[in-house]
Amino acid sequence: MPTRRFDDVHEGDELGPEDWFLAKDRVRDYARANDIAFPRFLDDEGARAEGLPGMIAPGNMSMGLLVRLVEAWGGIGCVRRLGTTFRGVVLPDRTLRLCGAVTHTDAAARTAELDVWIESDEGERLVIGTATVALA
Amino acid sequence: MALEFDRSILGQEFDRVEREPVTVDEIVAFAHALGCTEPCYLEPGSGLVAHPTFVVRYRGRRFLPDSLPDPLKTRMSFDAGKDIDFGVPIRPGDRISVGAALHDVYEKTGRTGTMTFVVVRFVIRNQRGETVATIDNRLLYKD
Repeated sequence: MPTRRFDDVHEGDELGPEDWFLAKDRVRDYARANDIAFPRFLDDEGARAEGLPGMIAPGNMSMGLLVRLVEAWGGIGCVRRLGTTFRGVVLPDRTLRLCGAVTHTDAAARTAELDVWIESDEGERLVIGTATVALA
Repeated sequence: MALEFDRSILGQEFDRVEREPVTVDEIVAFAHALGCTEPCYLEPGSGLVAHPTFVVRYRGRRFLPDSLPDPLKTRMSFDAGKDIDFGVPIRPGDRISVGAALHDVYEKTGRTGTMTFVVVRFVIRNQRGETVATIDNRLLYKD
């Protein structure tokens, strides 16, 4: 249920940023829990055999992390829609920065539109997206 | 050369599967892996629901239709992103069905050449016929 009140939300408001260390074990756990335990998500050797520089994190996991960020701001169950573009490879054993900002509010629907994204530790936007959030 | 294909294939469901009932362990393991701390995602009981992105676990037996335009069948694709409309939450015991259809095929030309995008739409429902999520998965094919 959304907990953030519509009247308290304004265009330009920021979500996070939240820094999150993405451990390899966390990625392995996610791949298994998501039923996508492919070599590229399990270890460097398996990933290299697939032509990748090393183990990577699934794009779906990035979506999960962005929803976590948005729900921490707006409340459990507030996310109505999430659209993402996977622009770069998310590598584990590094710190990701989860970010967001309010771009539009709709008083009639009591919703907000957000930009959300994940940055690498070098500031590159690896995943970008938008979300629609219900507000209380 | 622009990709030519019979656009009547768009929207046709090419796969449908029904999955085994969702278990508590599946829901909890998924939330743990994302680092969730909220009791509603972790603590077994009547209040347990799956994290919203649990829906991305659901795929069909076939990821692409046989009717995919021929030039794309032999090329490697990349997951370019997803759009998810969330519906009702998933709870333990839900029996989830997944229907898949080719939703769109389009091309874009950029600095690196022409890219073809294939959008597969997955409609995910529970045993009551309620929509759990609609997922548009964009696959990128580079020339």
